Amino acid sequence: MSATAQAGFGKVLKEWIFTCDHKRVGILYLIGVLAAFLVAGLAAMLLRVELSTVGPTIMAPGTYNVLLYFHGAAMILGFLIPALTGFLANYLIPLQIGAKDVAFPRLNALSLWLFWMGIVLALLTFVIPDPPDFMWTAYPPYSIMSPGNTAFYTFTVLIMGFASIVGGVNLITTIIYMRAPGMTWGKLNMFVWCTLAAFITQLVFVPVLGAAVTMLTFDKYLGTTFFSPGSGGDVLLYQNLFWFYSHPAVYVILLPFLGIVFDVVATFARNRVFNYKATVYVGVGGVTLMSGEVWIHHLYTSGMPDWIRTGMMVSTLLISVPVGVMMIGLIGTLYRGSIEYKSPMWWALGCMFLFLIGGLTGIPNAMPAIDSHIHDTHFVVAHFHYVMAVAGTFAVLAGVTYLFPKMFGKMCSEGISKLGFVVTFIGVNVTFFSMFLVGLKGMPRRYYDYAQFPQFQDLHQIVTVGAFIAALGFLIVLVSWIHGLVAGEKATDNPWGSRSLEWTTSTPPGPGNWAEVPDCTNFDPYGYGSNK
Amino acid sequence: MLKRFGTSAIGALTLLGVSSGACGSTGGAGGGTGIKNPAANWQHLWDEMMLDITIIGVVFALVIVYLLIRYRRTRPDQEGSQPTLSTAASFGWVLIPVFLFMADDLFLAARGWTLWNDYRIVPANSYEVELKAAMWSFNFKHPNGVEESGTLHVEAGTPVVVRMTSADVVHSMFIPDFRVKEDSMPGRVTYLWFNPDKPGEHVITCAEFCGMMHSSMHGKVIVMSRDQFHAWSDAEKAKIATANVEGGKS
Amino acid sequence: MEGHDATHSGAAAGHHEWEVSYWPLLLSVSVLFVLPFPFSLYFVYKNALLAVLALGIGVPLLVVSLVGWVSEALKGRTVTSAEQGLGTGALPWFIVAEAFIFVGFFAAYWATRLMAPAWPPAGTPHISMTIPIIMTIILVASSVTIHFAEEKLEHNNTSGFITWLIVTIVLGAVFFLISAYEWSHLMGEGFTFGTNIYGSSFFSITGFHASHVLVGLCAFVAVLIPALRGTVSKNFVKSASVYWHFVDIVWFFVVSQVYFW
Ligand code: HEA
Ligand code: HEA
Ligand code: CUA
Ligand SMILES: [Cu+2]
Repeated sequence: MSATAQAGFGKVLKEWIFTCDHKRVGILYLIGVLAAFLVAGLAAMLLRVELSTVGPTIMAPGTYNVLLYFHGAAMILGFLIPALTGFLANYLIPLQIGAKDVAFPRLNALSLWLFWMGIVLALLTFVIPDPPDFMWTAYPPYSIMSPGNTAFYTFTVLIMGFASIVGGVNLITTIIYMRAPGMTWGKLNMFVWCTLAAFITQLVFVPVLGAAVTMLTFDKYLGTTFFSPGSGGDVLLYQNLFWFYSHPAVYVILLPFLGIVFDVVATFARNRVFNYKATVYVGVGGVTLMSGEVWIHHLYTSGMPDWIRTGMMVSTLLISVPVGVMMIGLIGTLYRGSIEYKSPMWWALGCMFLFLIGGLTGIPNAMPAIDSHIHDTHFVVAHFHYVMAVAGTFAVLAGVTYLFPKMFGKMCSEGISKLGFVVTFIGVNVTFFSMFLVGLKGMPRRYYDYAQFPQFQDLHQIVTVGAFIAALGFLIVLVSWIHGLVAGEKATDNPWGSRSLEWTTSTPPGPGNWAEVPDCTNFDPYGYGSNK
Repeated sequence: MLKRFGTSAIGALTLLGVSSGACGSTGGAGGGTGIKNPAANWQHLWDEMMLDITIIGVVFALVIVYLLIRYRRTRPDQEGSQPTLSTAASFGWVLIPVFLFMADDLFLAARGWTLWNDYRIVPANSYEVELKAAMWSFNFKHPNGVEESGTLHVEAGTPVVVRMTSADVVHSMFIPDFRVKEDSMPGRVTYLWFNPDKPGEHVITCAEFCGMMHSSMHGKVIVMSRDQFHAWSDAEKAKIATANVEGGKS
Repeated sequence: MEGHDATHSGAAAGHHEWEVSYWPLLLSVSVLFVLPFPFSLYFVYKNALLAVLALGIGVPLLVVSLVGWVSEALKGRTVTSAEQGLGTGALPWFIVAEAFIFVGFFAAYWATRLMAPAWPPAGTPHISMTIPIIMTIILVASSVTIHFAEEKLEHNNTSGFITWLIVTIVLGAVFFLISAYEWSHLMGEGFTFGTNIYGSSFFSITGFHASHVLVGLCAFVAVLIPALRGTVSKNFVKSASVYWHFVDIVWFFVVSQVYFW
């Protein structure tokens, strides 16, 4: 009896760990990114405590640098990018295009486990002797002179990068060749379009980062001289290669998160996407095409030739145009809708407001003259937390709460997750709005201490308090999920009343998603309302 | 949402106030000497730009809030009725915003560019100082050979240009009060200039991560009146001279 | 359309079992023990013994999981049939990514070279121009021979296919050996990674290209072995040869930029 039970358990375990199924791969991605988010978030809390008083508070400068390195690297490479292009994309895309699975299920599993190995490497930061301490940007010469283990940074980036390439190739092929009969390009969900664009962007830019960090490690351990001026190398070469990737990377984040927000908003407004075609072509297309021509805006004070700085000022400012078009598409989707305020919708709307603030505060950064004061201050930190750490995270949470019933067959308690939203929303705004102010006064980034600016202490303390409110909010969100898993009521196949294809499966979907590939000849993911 | 948004708009405006306070804006031409004053012009551009993006933000947010209230679901079976746009309409809904946004961007770009030129075009007859940054100190060398570390003594009313390199890693010289910052690194010479219009002290601090003591890498610009400054630099020069003499003796 | 029969024969079609495979997880773990651990143990922590130990765990694991993966593929399970159906569709995207790694290295090379006061920088020995020409000829030849091999396969002439495939492999191997010889020769003259920026770019780019040749050869061997046992997957052959042509094209950049410019 118990033997059979055990056998059953063993079978289930095997079917999870060695799974090739895109839904399970997606969920295992989710677990990995949550691990990264929690640890990196706790690291951030420690940073905040340290900054809450002038002078040493709870740690040594070296510790601060390692924690900050980990926070940045883990949050971007380990949390946000894989949460969007790993978890959401893997779970949602085959369901939204009507495929039984991705094109290469086992390669999909490979990308998942490579990503997990990346997480393992990143976490080892806390175990190994002389861990990396040169921040997620790892500028030479410091990253070459530092005792920190540059190889671990490089391999974390390379393995995660390779994972994202494998995943990207896989899903691009899936979207191109495995759409259900009748699922034409004009019918794809916004999320599919945005993610496709993000994946193509990644294929082009991730390898360049790979080359850059490889040269870094060669320079440090094999004695090459790419970045050492003494023998013909160039310090700024690395910064250029790095940002040539890392700026597009922010659109690899932006596109999928706006994509999921589009789908959530359309579902809860029971409305079709406003000006769909134009939003895809001009918005998504524009962002993708422009993403590669603006990287110098991270090097405004790095001593690049003046004409490049002004040139990329213009291109950077202009990128607000396609993004603006996407915003209009998003806002227009509310027009004459029938808006129901369920928890996923709250997160999505929160994301829209926070992204407005974050995106618009990118504009001052975009002007070299203005930037020569705010560059590398907490103003920039606040900018990218609003747009990425907050808007991005809210989009991910919108996605999780939206898909929760489909993934686990249980409903989250509306009450708890809305409470979580409110607390988080207040928390992050207190945190990062005060961070704008302290940054504007001239508080530089990556500062363990600010003895030269004792007058900043009060603002820093407000930021810290806000951070703890935010943390509490996230804690409540976690609780809402656990509560949902344990005590949530059973979910129907289509609890939100969405028209989109993923909700036509059983809940949770079995192997192969549908008994037969659905025929989508007269199907429309946004086919709401009278006008079909 | 509405309430929350209110606070953020107000907050954005406070940003204006805060920053205006932070820097004694003395109008476009610094202290009437006819020399450009980037710090003050920075302030003007900042205020304009803040106003610009605050308006954009407010407009967008208000529209969202209006739609959220106007179109909330009233009947459970109610569905949205997004009108399908005519081709003309859908083009209009892209092209018009695109041109509005572009207009605004190019306006900002133009303003940004003029100020940028103020930042990069060094006034003739400015006082030229050499900086060699190192982990973790700013080491200055005056034209008359006087060297100092940490502090930089300059004369009020004369623009100062700093030619920078680094002995080891990338550092960045940042003087918040003068709204300037530029990296210094091995293998390249970079520069920044600022206009110390009246006597006083201003923090210099390092703005590019340079290792363990990054945050402790700071110093002061000490702006002195003309005669004070000359007294100081002559005294320093004398010290060097005597030092050399003694060096010669032994 | 390729896509659709792939879908139907595709993942978990019809039968309702969760697809499982051990190899992805094992392969990923082995990667940790083959690259990051030995590298940092050896170069960062200067502990050769532990580095060798890590390799001792990693390499066998790597081999086992690769073999397992390929044999699973050859068993032609449902998962795999989808994979083979779309392999040729996926390859171009993968090659784009590959190409951009080279773009990264070439960008570095061009940037540093164009900013250099004098070229070649001090300490660069004379680099023979005949060797690269020979290598070019060999590599182009191998591109042609693999094309013949494919032709033969089209006409279901397996023995002809195998002979041409072997010729290609031999040519590739020779190419690889020559560049290995060139490396050791130059290093003998004291021209290494660290000599100057040209050394850095030269060895990184040629070495990186050589590693691609090696990958191509492995792919061909992975085709050859089952072919000798009579099983050939046309899609796999096609992918392998397209990859080989890509390696060939990259070589033209290497020659023109790094040797002859
Ligand atoms: C998801 C991530 C994300 C996104 C989407 C963005 C979006 C933008 N970012 Fe940001 N950024 C980061 C993440 C992101 N950024 C990160 C991580 C860093 C720091 C990295 C580091 O140094 O560690 C950074 C740093 C950074 C810098 C460097 C600052 C410095 O180091 O000195 C700059 C400079 O130009 C910049 C600009 C912009 C601009 C112009 C946009 C635009 O895309 C924003 C466009 C959106 C809007 C403008 C709002 C919506 C549009 C409208 C309402 C239409 C009307 C608006 C106008 C006409 C203006 N960002
Ligand atoms: C997606 C990306 C992301 C996210 C989500 C965050 C989230 C947060 N970040 Fe981070 N941050 C970055 C990306 C991100 N950050 C990057 C790229 C940098 C630059 C690094 C560099 O300079 O190189 C940076 C830098 C950075 C700094 C600058 C430090 C410096 O320059 O000196 C600070 C300082 O306040 C900060 C704070 C925070 C805080 C308080 C949060 C909070 O939102 C985190 C809240 C989350 C949690 C707390 C975990 C979950 C909650 C619980 C488990 C509940 C229980 C926990 C407690 C009660 C403590 N971050
Ligand atoms: Cu010098 Cu930071
Ligand atoms: Cu950017």
